[in-house]
Amino acid sequence: MKSINRRGFIRTGVAGAAGMMAFSPSIASASVTEGDDKIIFRTLGKTGLRIPVISFGVMNSDNPNLCKAAYEKGIKLFDTAHGYQNGNNEILLGNVLKSYPRESFFLSTKVRPDGVDKEGRPSKETTAEGFIEKFNLSLSRLKMDYVDILYVHAVQNTELVEYKPVVNALKKLKKEGKVRFVGMSTHRNEAAVINAAAESDDWDVILTSYNFMQTYSGELTSAIRKASEKGIGFVAMKTLAGGGFFDKEKTKPINTTAALKWALSNPDICTAIPGMTTFDQLDLNVKILSDITLTESEKNSLVVPAAMTGLYCTGCSKCIPACPRNLPVPDLMRAYMYAYGYSNTAKAYSLLGELGTSDDPCNGCDTCKVECTKKFRIKEKITDISRLINVPKDFLS
Amino acid sequence: MKIKIISAAFLLLLLGQASAQNLLFPELEGYKTNKDFPVFTPDNLWDYINGAADAYLTYGFVDLHIAEYKKGKNTIKVEIYKQGDNTNAFGIYSAERSPSFRFMNLGAQGYLSDGVANFYKGSYYVKIRTFSKNEKVLQSMEKLALRIADMLEGTTEMPAAILKFPEIGKKENEEIYINESVLGHKFLNKAFRATYMTGNDEFYVFILENKSNEEAWNSAKAYLESAGTDALESDNGKYVINDGYNGTIFLSWKANNIVIISGLSKDQANIADRYTSEILK
Repeated sequence: MKSINRRGFIRTGVAGAAGMMAFSPSIASASVTEGDDKIIFRTLGKTGLRIPVISFGVMNSDNPNLCKAAYEKGIKLFDTAHGYQNGNNEILLGNVLKSYPRESFFLSTKVRPDGVDKEGRPSKETTAEGFIEKFNLSLSRLKMDYVDILYVHAVQNTELVEYKPVVNALKKLKKEGKVRFVGMSTHRNEAAVINAAAESDDWDVILTSYNFMQTYSGELTSAIRKASEKGIGFVAMKTLAGGGFFDKEKTKPINTTAALKWALSNPDICTAIPGMTTFDQLDLNVKILSDITLTESEKNSLVVPAAMTGLYCTGCSKCIPACPRNLPVPDLMRAYMYAYGYSNTAKAYSLLGELGTSDDPCNGCDTCKVECTKKFRIKEKITDISRLINVPKDFLS
Repeated sequence: MKIKIISAAFLLLLLGQASAQNLLFPELEGYKTNKDFPVFTPDNLWDYINGAADAYLTYGFVDLHIAEYKKGKNTIKVEIYKQGDNTNAFGIYSAERSPSFRFMNLGAQGYLSDGVANFYKGSYYVKIRTFSKNEKVLQSMEKLALRIADMLEGTTEMPAAILKFPEIGKKENEEIYINESVLGHKFLNKAFRATYMTGNDEFYVFILENKSNEEAWNSAKAYLESAGTDALESDNGKYVINDGYNGTIFLSWKANNIVIISGLSKDQANIADRYTSEILK
């Protein structure tokens, strides 16, 4: 192997745009102190924890420097889970946070109890010992003596909310000082789960999916209100409705700032944990730390444009002559609307039966010649809905 | 309203089932096989693994087939994730791999750890687990893993780029593949990363294999510009830049390959140069 001295790297870049954002520890802490006055903190229910409105869902991050930068810019709650990257995410976060004073940040992790079935119900395999064993592994990966919040991961069934082995395991860990506060995360059947949690004194915090796209946000918001009155603190996740795009094709990105501000416009939401994998995302979210006002234009950006929801066919029938197979396009669009708009798959199925079209009517047409006046992607929608005809009728509602 | 939502989710599951390919799960003596699970697709993977789904989607997730093997109280659960290609399968496998696991010849690479047998082969990432501590069940799990590895199509080779990493100082089984936003920068994508030690210092070496020289140049240029450095277009170059977030970065490119080294200080340029030259030779 040849030895090459430092002259091998002949050109040296000077700090410019990125360089100017550089932070040596002293400069960074100075700017954070200055920013601290502006950062909006909220209280997390009865825990009394004062947390900045933006936190960090570390989940998909593989870069420790991103976590460090988030901390330096004023983010103080870092969220991970036992299962993320098979534990590597907890290891990464632990390695980052160990260099900071323990009382200067909050740390939450989630543990999913073993043996929970598809409907979220616990089974004989769901034991206190198993849960504690998994949590202790998390704690060792994190290299911490305690976590601030331990969530039961992905609760979707009220049976699990009341399931004593898990509740007792949480109490034990709290008593041992390994966990300061206990909670649950939920992103399905959220309102029912939250209502059940509000009925007991066992829960301090709930991490819930909460976004402007949820069709049941009214029901969810009421549940959050009711539980907040009982002292439960709320953290929001999935504020970008899961994917960050309005459309399946990922061509219409959601205004992430507006979506986060929308979630925070509910004063019962203490903080949100957007996932971040780039410094650009971090910079964008850091701005919200000190400004959560949802402007009119931001509000408008969250209105799902009709062309994007794209379910209602006007029936203009201009498409029919353009289709080389003379497919009943408006009727097929109606079937699509029944299924995806009204969730009435039985009606969609019935209509497809009446039309007598095949399960893949566009097969062989490489390019769709139909130009829809509403800009529907006709071929894609027809292909999608036509598969329904293969589903046994008994399965449909 | 609730009923409607359930119906829509159900439809997606059904459509997913209708479109996904059929995978055959092998038999396991003495065990009953339950294949009555929906096939998950990018639309509904969230329903199954929640927030962890994002990482799988980043690596080109196609579909997930599940089966459960039962014998008395003991269950072995198998999940077969089909990712976009071999590199993506390695990507998600390596993101969840730990060097402390017991590695074995299973597919391209696999390991056993506390009731878990995970491996990848071709474009598949396979995760098998049991809650049982019973030795016989664990042996059955291992046997099942070997059968599935035999059954699945695809290469048993690691991605070729991994072989480019110099061996000296490299930490074993810590190579990963990052599909998007390498070092937290959206203009850097598709990189293999290896971890190295020099003395007590840990540093990372990234290899980005671009489709063309032009693509490599554009990525390098974007990085240089972000650090306020101008560069003349060239098929090769070597720079030291100050990345405001990631510290000192040694950035080099030759033809369609880019090498980035982070974690070394400027006075360790000789080390960076040694590794860069070895990779780009």
